[in-house]
Amino acid sequence: MISRRRLLTAAGATALLTACGSNTGRGGDGQALRQWYHAYGEPGVQQAVERYAKSYGKVPVDVQWNPGDYDSKLATSLLSGSGPDVFESTTQVSAVRAGQMVPLDDVIASAKDDFTASILAGHTVDGQIYGIPQAVDMQMLFYRKSMFASAGVTPPSTVDELVSAARRLTTGGVKGLFAGNDGGVAVLGGPALWSAGLDYVTPQHQVGFDDPLAAQAIGKLRELNTSGALLLGAVKDWAEPDAFTQGLVAMQWTGLWTVPAVQKALGDDFGVLPWPRLNDSGRPSVPVGAFGAMVNAKSAKVAEAKEFVRWLWVERTDYQADFNQSYGFHIPPRQSLAASAEKLKTGAAADAVKFVRDNAKASNPPDWTSAMRTAFGDAVSQVVRDGADASTELRGAVAKVRDELKRLYG
Amino acid sequence: MKVVRYLALSVAAVLFLIPFYLVLRNGLASEQEITSPNWTFWPSEIRWENFAELFANPAVPLVRSLINSVLVAVLQTAGQLLLCGLAGYGLARIPYRYANVVLYLVIATLMIPAAVTFVPTFVVVSTLGWISDLRGLVIPGLFSGFTTFLFRQYFLNFPREIEEAARMDGLGHWGTYWRVVVPNSKGFFAALGVIAFVTSWNQFLWPLVIAQDQDSWTVQVALSTFLTAQSIEVEQLFLAAAVSITPLVIVFVALQRFLVRGVTETGIKG
Amino acid sequence: MTRSFWLFVGPFFLGLLVFVYVPIGWSVLLSFFDARNTVTPTTFVGFDNYADMLTDGPFLQSLGTFSLFALFVVPLTFVLALALALLVNGIQFMQTFFRSVFFLPFACSYVVASLVWKLSIFNGVRFGLANTLLGWFGEEPIPWTVTPPWYWLVLVTLRLWLQLGFYMILFIAGLQRIPQHLYEAAWIDGASRGWQTLRYITMPQLRTTSVAVLLLLLVAAYQAFDEFYNVLGTDRGYPPFARPPLIYLYYTALGSGGQDFGHGSAGAVILTLLIAGVTLLQGKVITR
Repeated sequence: MISRRRLLTAAGATALLTACGSNTGRGGDGQALRQWYHAYGEPGVQQAVERYAKSYGKVPVDVQWNPGDYDSKLATSLLSGSGPDVFESTTQVSAVRAGQMVPLDDVIASAKDDFTASILAGHTVDGQIYGIPQAVDMQMLFYRKSMFASAGVTPPSTVDELVSAARRLTTGGVKGLFAGNDGGVAVLGGPALWSAGLDYVTPQHQVGFDDPLAAQAIGKLRELNTSGALLLGAVKDWAEPDAFTQGLVAMQWTGLWTVPAVQKALGDDFGVLPWPRLNDSGRPSVPVGAFGAMVNAKSAKVAEAKEFVRWLWVERTDYQADFNQSYGFHIPPRQSLAASAEKLKTGAAADAVKFVRDNAKASNPPDWTSAMRTAFGDAVSQVVRDGADASTELRGAVAKVRDELKRLYG
Repeated sequence: MKVVRYLALSVAAVLFLIPFYLVLRNGLASEQEITSPNWTFWPSEIRWENFAELFANPAVPLVRSLINSVLVAVLQTAGQLLLCGLAGYGLARIPYRYANVVLYLVIATLMIPAAVTFVPTFVVVSTLGWISDLRGLVIPGLFSGFTTFLFRQYFLNFPREIEEAARMDGLGHWGTYWRVVVPNSKGFFAALGVIAFVTSWNQFLWPLVIAQDQDSWTVQVALSTFLTAQSIEVEQLFLAAAVSITPLVIVFVALQRFLVRGVTETGIKG
Repeated sequence: MTRSFWLFVGPFFLGLLVFVYVPIGWSVLLSFFDARNTVTPTTFVGFDNYADMLTDGPFLQSLGTFSLFALFVVPLTFVLALALALLVNGIQFMQTFFRSVFFLPFACSYVVASLVWKLSIFNGVRFGLANTLLGWFGEEPIPWTVTPPWYWLVLVTLRLWLQLGFYMILFIAGLQRIPQHLYEAAWIDGASRGWQTLRYITMPQLRTTSVAVLLLLLVAAYQAFDEFYNVLGTDRGYPPFARPPLIYLYYTALGSGGQDFGHGSAGAVILTLLIAGVTLLQGKVITR
């Protein structure tokens, strides 16, 4: 009797362990390449990238779509060695120094000159290329022409004009501006610096905003937040055009990718602008960046992964055109494709292309790491949301960014 | 006086039920109705098709995550009762020279909340290659010093006469435990089991850290992802929430007695 | 005897060593190294990480956040849970019904509660329940989750809703252990049924329960993560306000804060020591 009990217990325990051991089905057969994307908001992108992967003949490719906090998730999985073979990301010097991805100069070689140089520079560290640009994204200010006309407001060309326009456009159920549920903390920090002629980091890898003007520039964001002209707490955040298309705001800061959706909802009743300048030392700006396709250095199949990246993002220009143009609007990183992109030749998209040519600022330069971004973003948030003193907060951020730059560049 | 009492209780009860009402209302309405500035108390038209749309939505791995949650909760409950029950009995009843040392090592862990050690535990689990793996979700949560301690306290007070009768029949510790002690402690096992199940079903931080891969998400991670990323329709999000609490509401209704006992046991001894 | 002891205790104890003691040991080790983007570091930095955490703003600020949060949530939960317990315990008709209603939120996770609070009750636009109510009084909508001090209202009410039932059950259990004859004796001595018996009989008799409840509440507040992450976090990170210690450690070690396991581990060790300290202090209070 006892031994039967014992046997049953043992059997139960074994069943438990076996059940635990069952893999949760992430293609653990060791054959397929694993490719990660963050979740694009536009419908159809997920199906498209799955279609591309399926048509690759040499090895099977499992595409994983990752809604939620993609950066954290990616960073963690790269660390643990359980990560994808191929993924999209921005290039950061800290990740390069930690040896997390492999250089791709040989992958891009044949087509290097066709890629827009400034975009490629965003994926270059110490002279080596770590990401093949997939699609150029840019953010800009969308405004409703009809609302401007009926309020007698002209498109703003300075930050002060923008603030007063936002105030005057706020009436009844309509707010002047929407720049995210955090009041623009996440997306307007960079444009604020650029509006004053400053930057995140200088070309010599020094802190770019160690200047009294920075406090003034961030102070303008605080002014916007206390003006009552800002929409806060909307259902969808700044990256989706919903607040703008539903007529909740007269202006919204969002991306080029929303142009098809905005056109569909509003027709011709909208225009686009760069973030204006603060004063004479600054210039209007639009943040520009491109996710690049990368290969995980810890992958067991680096060679196969590189070949797949070369095939998809260098060889198959038809897929690149489809990816950039068929869903949301993006600018193809390759000049040959950008020149032939019909959809970018008219209306707001054409303006956007012009802004990228004249006013582009790198939204994620390689030497602006996530630790620095967090330090700067925290400071901006304290000022903008909690009304902390701008000079004090920025001084703290400057110190942290300086430490981090020193660690990375000596 | 009685009237005031019942009045106060009724007001509180309404307040407590509002969130449940909102989950149902929003889950069964259309998005236009939820986001309409004119509040309606109940959807003008109940959209049962929201269910079909939710389960058919390829972006929301709801079925998969529900299965994962069930697996994790059941395995963790069973595993904890098995391992901690045995350990608690051993510590309470089997004399051993170093039993006290072991007991102190168990008690010492009571002061260190599992949530605080998630960083190092993640490091260990990732070294074992258990990221995005059912093993990583289940196994680290099995070794609860707290549950073991509760079992030990319970077995210390277990009537010795019953065990001695079993010993007279020639049963060893092992036989006594399985044939006499466990069958006479069903209520206690049920109480701790129900609490373990509820805790496991609702846990969030650990699955968030460990379930990187969409296929290994528990239902809490799935809900949280779509809540923070705001990438699906509002009514589907609420309906998914309603689906996720249904299993526990059933547990509540069916096992309320054990649940209350479990809360009392786990709370007071803390 | 040795064999049977390890037969019973061995499997559990092995797991405890591997999944509790090894991680703690590893964490202590990491806390003395520069461990950015790696968990097998080579650069020993002594107590630098600890010094950074204890002088550097955000971590201390997050401990301050915890204290503020605890200051609101602990006394409020304590008083309200006790009030509910007294109310429920004092009735016969429909007692089970009311107890069940107050206990039911315990079935919900913090994630579900965050969803309801963030998107339905305290949504910043006009259609949120709170803003609808404000609208009826002609007030402007408030963006609850991004405006100080309103986000505290969101977070505190959420936690109250989820936790009150649990602590109410604890208090009811405590109340039912109080011998009835104590009350009868007091009434004979002329004590009034309300305040006086509460003050001189109920509360002293509930002492053990009360201390346990306070400790549980305090430790739970230290560990706050779920509702903060889900209410205030977005897919691009977490704002620097209302940031509890665990959220800060999560982003430092695993999140977009930079994969810094050295500082993350140092913070975890500090937090653990704090909680252990509170628990020990509590043990002293109970045994005295």
